[in-house]
Amino acid sequence: MTASRIFGRAFLFLMAGVVLFPVLWTLLSAFKQNVDLLTPTPKLFFTPTLDNIAYVLGRPSVLQALINSLIICSVSVLIGIVLGLPAAYAVARYPNRWTDEIQFFVLSLRFLPPVAVAIPLMVIWLNLGLYDTKLALIVTYSLLTISITIWLAIPGFQRVPKEIEEAARVDGYGPYAVFFRVALPVALRALLGALAFSFVLIWNEFLMALMLSTSNAKTLPIVASEMSQLGMNVPWGILNAAVVLLSLPPLLLLGLLSSFMNSMFSNKPR
Amino acid sequence: MMQHRQSLPFVFLLPTMAILLVLALVPTIYAIIISLQDRTLSAPDAGYIGFQNYIDLFGDRRFVNALWVSLKWEVITVSSTMIMAIGLGVLMFEAAGPRLRTSLCLIFLIPVLLPRVCAAFVWKFAFHPLYGVVTYPYRALTGQPLDLLSSPTEALFAVAFVDLWQWGFFFAVIVLKLLEALPPQPMEAARLDNARPWEIHAYISLPMLRAPLISLMFVKMIESLRSFDLIFVMTRGGPGTSTETLDMYAFSQGFIEAGKISYASSMAVVMMLVTIVVFTILWKRLKA
Repeated sequence: MTASRIFGRAFLFLMAGVVLFPVLWTLLSAFKQNVDLLTPTPKLFFTPTLDNIAYVLGRPSVLQALINSLIICSVSVLIGIVLGLPAAYAVARYPNRWTDEIQFFVLSLRFLPPVAVAIPLMVIWLNLGLYDTKLALIVTYSLLTISITIWLAIPGFQRVPKEIEEAARVDGYGPYAVFFRVALPVALRALLGALAFSFVLIWNEFLMALMLSTSNAKTLPIVASEMSQLGMNVPWGILNAAVVLLSLPPLLLLGLLSSFMNSMFSNKPR
Repeated sequence: MMQHRQSLPFVFLLPTMAILLVLALVPTIYAIIISLQDRTLSAPDAGYIGFQNYIDLFGDRRFVNALWVSLKWEVITVSSTMIMAIGLGVLMFEAAGPRLRTSLCLIFLIPVLLPRVCAAFVWKFAFHPLYGVVTYPYRALTGQPLDLLSSPTEALFAVAFVDLWQWGFFFAVIVLKLLEALPPQPMEAARLDNARPWEIHAYISLPMLRAPLISLMFVKMIESLRSFDLIFVMTRGGPGTSTETLDMYAFSQGFIEAGKISYASSMAVVMMLVTIVVFTILWKRLKA
């Protein structure tokens, strides 16, 4: 029993290494010069340089893409909140014969292949003169943020104890006041996790941004992926620095998302 | 008051559903319209050519190849992710105490949070034939470079490995949470009867989790359709067409090679129809 337990633990530590090693190696490589990177034997010890990071941060295209990404992500997440949260509450608390259909419809939006949406949208935005604008990307992404917000917020609202809402109603709150002043604050923690998920989803999105922007509205993943096309050789140091920069915001949300997962799966009241 | 109560679902649902419908239906209908034309990126005016694009598709060997690659990709990534998730989730449940579980859950969430573009670059460099850290042991032992991403037989598996790295650990955390949420009595009773850990899980806990595990698999099947980012960064569909999935082929037809927007769109419509039909049937079966 103990022997197998020790063996099991060793394997778990090995798996943690499989996750962490490539990530930490990339972080390390972001501080390496090309001479230290392009060696047949990988180098663990080297003189660190800030050149790669400075180069990435100093490029105007990166700064522009960072601003684009921040604006596009926050506005589309906000649209997801404004339109998605009330809808999720209505589905969770006012079930009717349409509820199942609505839930399936919202889920089925995820079945749409991104290419199938991006090609016609490109033509539509071109015709409207909005191609390669932040507005076009925000509207496109709203489809994603609204549906993911509804999908993840429904369980959050269902977990608000009904008694609290009943008590508020007895105190004379109308149905809208119950939503804004009781259900929303009580469910807030779970909802924050859902919003973080929708932020990460948009921050990481690549295919649609690639097809719907050429210069003005490029987001950070696009600009980072273009770093591999600088000059003749792939500048791995710069690329690693760009990868680190692009990965930071989702990783900063790690704690929030982890506690969201815990709340999603633990002690569901039925 | 009574009137208010009646109005809330309409006020909260109607505008949102109307906007979602417009956002989803307009591109879908437009995709069908474009697919019946002969539009290209360079020439904006286009005429209707009926179903010619669809007829061409089925004579296109690259399209048939892309269908086959996509199918292989689905099967490889979904099955490997589920096997890894269940194995690792059960192992955490059996071998790790509460504190170790907490740290492992945090660590195992990292890969799925990384942008797929980043995960692709991380592993593309790790797989580099001359300088990669993963290929280093092979180089050191044999003195030969190991070029996984340029091998027609191995490239798809190398890219699928990155997908597994992103999703397998994430799903393992979910499986652990599901096991923790189960009522402990049946498992304890079996333990008292001297059942082995693997017997407990194979015959008691995993059958109890049948429904959520099938839902998880369903989610992974949907998410596996989004292979584009990884393949675009790591192989661009190559070597040859050995990793060219449907979305990669549609993208290169529409944007890289010929700019044949209409042809790419007809491919996208076929993809859309197949996924909607298949997943709707699967979902209805799941619910029943």
